[in-house]
Amino acid sequence: MSALIEIDHRRAERLDQDPATLLGPDEWTEGSSAGLLLAVDAEPEPRFASARLIAIEFPTFHDGRGLSLAVLLRTRLGYRGELRAVGDVHPELVHYLRRCGFDSLVLPEGRRLDPEDPRLAPYSDYYQASIAETLPAFRRDRRGVYHRDH
Amino acid sequence: MYRYDSFDRQFVAERVAHYRAQTERYLSGELSESEFLHLRLRNGLYVQRLAPMLRVAVPYGTLSSAQLRRLATIARDYDRGYGHLTTRQNVQFNWPELAEVPDILESLAGVDMHAIQTSGNCIRNVTTDEFAGVAVDEALDPRPYCELIRQWSTAHPEFDWLPRKFKIAVTAATTDRAAVDVHDIGLHLRDGGSGGALVDVKVGGGLGRTPVIGGLIREGLPVIHLLTYLEAILRVYNRYGRRDNKYKARIKILVKAMGVDGFRERVEEEWRALEGTPSTLTDAEIQRVASGFAPPEYPALDDAVDLLAEQRLANPAFGRWLVHCVHPHRQRGYAIAVLSTKPTGISPGDVSDRQMDQVADWADRYGFGEIRISHQQNFVLPDVPQRDLFELWQKARDAELAADNAGLLTDIICCPGGDYCSLANAKSIPIAEAIQRRFDDYDYVHDLGPLDLNISGCMNACGHHHVGNIGILGVDKKGLEFYQISLGGHGGNGASIGQIVGPSFSRDEVPDVIERILETYVELREGDESFLHCYRRIGIEPFKERIYVRAD
Repeated sequence: MSALIEIDHRRAERLDQDPATLLGPDEWTEGSSAGLLLAVDAEPEPRFASARLIAIEFPTFHDGRGLSLAVLLRTRLGYRGELRAVGDVHPELVHYLRRCGFDSLVLPEGRRLDPEDPRLAPYSDYYQASIAETLPAFRRDRRGVYHRDH
Repeated sequence: MYRYDSFDRQFVAERVAHYRAQTERYLSGELSESEFLHLRLRNGLYVQRLAPMLRVAVPYGTLSSAQLRRLATIARDYDRGYGHLTTRQNVQFNWPELAEVPDILESLAGVDMHAIQTSGNCIRNVTTDEFAGVAVDEALDPRPYCELIRQWSTAHPEFDWLPRKFKIAVTAATTDRAAVDVHDIGLHLRDGGSGGALVDVKVGGGLGRTPVIGGLIREGLPVIHLLTYLEAILRVYNRYGRRDNKYKARIKILVKAMGVDGFRERVEEEWRALEGTPSTLTDAEIQRVASGFAPPEYPALDDAVDLLAEQRLANPAFGRWLVHCVHPHRQRGYAIAVLSTKPTGISPGDVSDRQMDQVADWADRYGFGEIRISHQQNFVLPDVPQRDLFELWQKARDAELAADNAGLLTDIICCPGGDYCSLANAKSIPIAEAIQRRFDDYDYVHDLGPLDLNISGCMNACGHHHVGNIGILGVDKKGLEFYQISLGGHGGNGASIGQIVGPSFSRDEVPDVIERILETYVELREGDESFLHCYRRIGIEPFKERIYVRAD
């Protein structure tokens, strides 16, 4: 059975609860206890910001639209609730999901992610700003320190 | 050139470890072929007709002598003793073992090189003018901005899984040597005085199945906004670019569908929300990166006019090389030398490990240890003292790197074609060779003047046939290899897409057809009119008449 997994900076936690009820944008209403299920080509609507859970469904793991949609929900709409990746989610790409603001995912059967899986954080740092790191490397001390190194 | 700091080095080292683990998971069966495909492509590894092919990034075509020596070592240790210079200023190896690729990448990381995003549907190696930093006609050195784009686009959280590959080219010179009009994004940098550089942004150019000249969507953008503006363009493309048909997935199709004005509106709307966000460049960061590209301390030299005149009088072949392969330098007493990889009979762009080592040695001896790769698939030595040109030419001649044909008919741009590539409809290398053999008379080729002849083995247009003054495209006709010929393409300023002359030809017919095209030009040109100008004046009809009447 597919597993709901919470992802953090370097940890993945497998949760026992069943995935929540999810409704598409036509059925979902503000104040609903159900989560909102969005296709990767959905347009972010301001009302979505009040959802408790938004799940974005990836038709294939290599379809990057869900990443842009996640970024827009987090930045343009200021969405603060749980953001979950569902559909053809692949553990190799979890680090992109995390950086674009996802905090949980449902892996299809046959794919697994261990609690300390190195694929959660294959890099100790990145050049760009992201949802997980609001400043690009060149605006951070760290880069400045490195810079003075050489 | 840009020097990696420990941040850059750490990232590349971690990338090697990351890819090594992915390769291991593939070899153990944990990752399927189709899953691994996407991962290996983003690390430069294709699986080709005969063997895997590894494309190594040479960011904006600039290399150090140490890096080139390392490429020579890799060619020896992991390949069959040669590499291939590509039209995106990169270097390809055609015979690596899949399981050894992580070791190759580790070796590259040792000299601050990588193969990140040299293939796959992501932002590819940024290309620029091969004379950047030394060209007499440039407003500023575009390479610091290329490097900033390289860093920004490396493992971008949001833009590594695009509808299709994405190519950015940058120029800052009057003469566009980077073909910015036929890139997904073409950037033209200008000097904006005390306010810093300005950038003009073109979008939606491209070759391939549907060749298009890019449309201007922003003029005079202050360069500190470069990355946020790219972010806006990429977000619009990532969200709305077609993913249902790989032949309609490039940004040019989206720009066409929305119209340049419609696309601009979408980008501007997106950018308004991004303007001033932390990705906005800082002067300090621009300075930090630019300091790596500061001009070397040139020992003062005088122009060597008399010496060169004497040497060319005594050696006409040296004189011809000076005319075609040596370009003026912004520093008095120095010159830019193009080392052509295209003597007759050698696949255009192929260079041996020994040649790579030699070029690296010359870069140290006749320069400051820097080498460029041009999109015409030649090496460039950017800082040669004029007084050493003769000595360099002698060595280059002995190493078969002094073909005096740069910019001429036989300086053919050519993809690997059906000999190597699994996408190709037809072979391209034998066509290039047949043309070089037919037109081996220097005086005739010289008399024709500047002429770009480009060959692609299929519609993907890696050989840039659409922008060749004469373009040749390999097509499949009922299982047989045929060649379609187009005229009037041009990749520089005022770019144009070539027009197809008519039905395609068999391989044996191609040299004859080229000969008739050239005869037509020689007969109808006025004064010293170039092939391109002549074509633009008289149009395609006179060429058609002569090609097909006599073919009947």
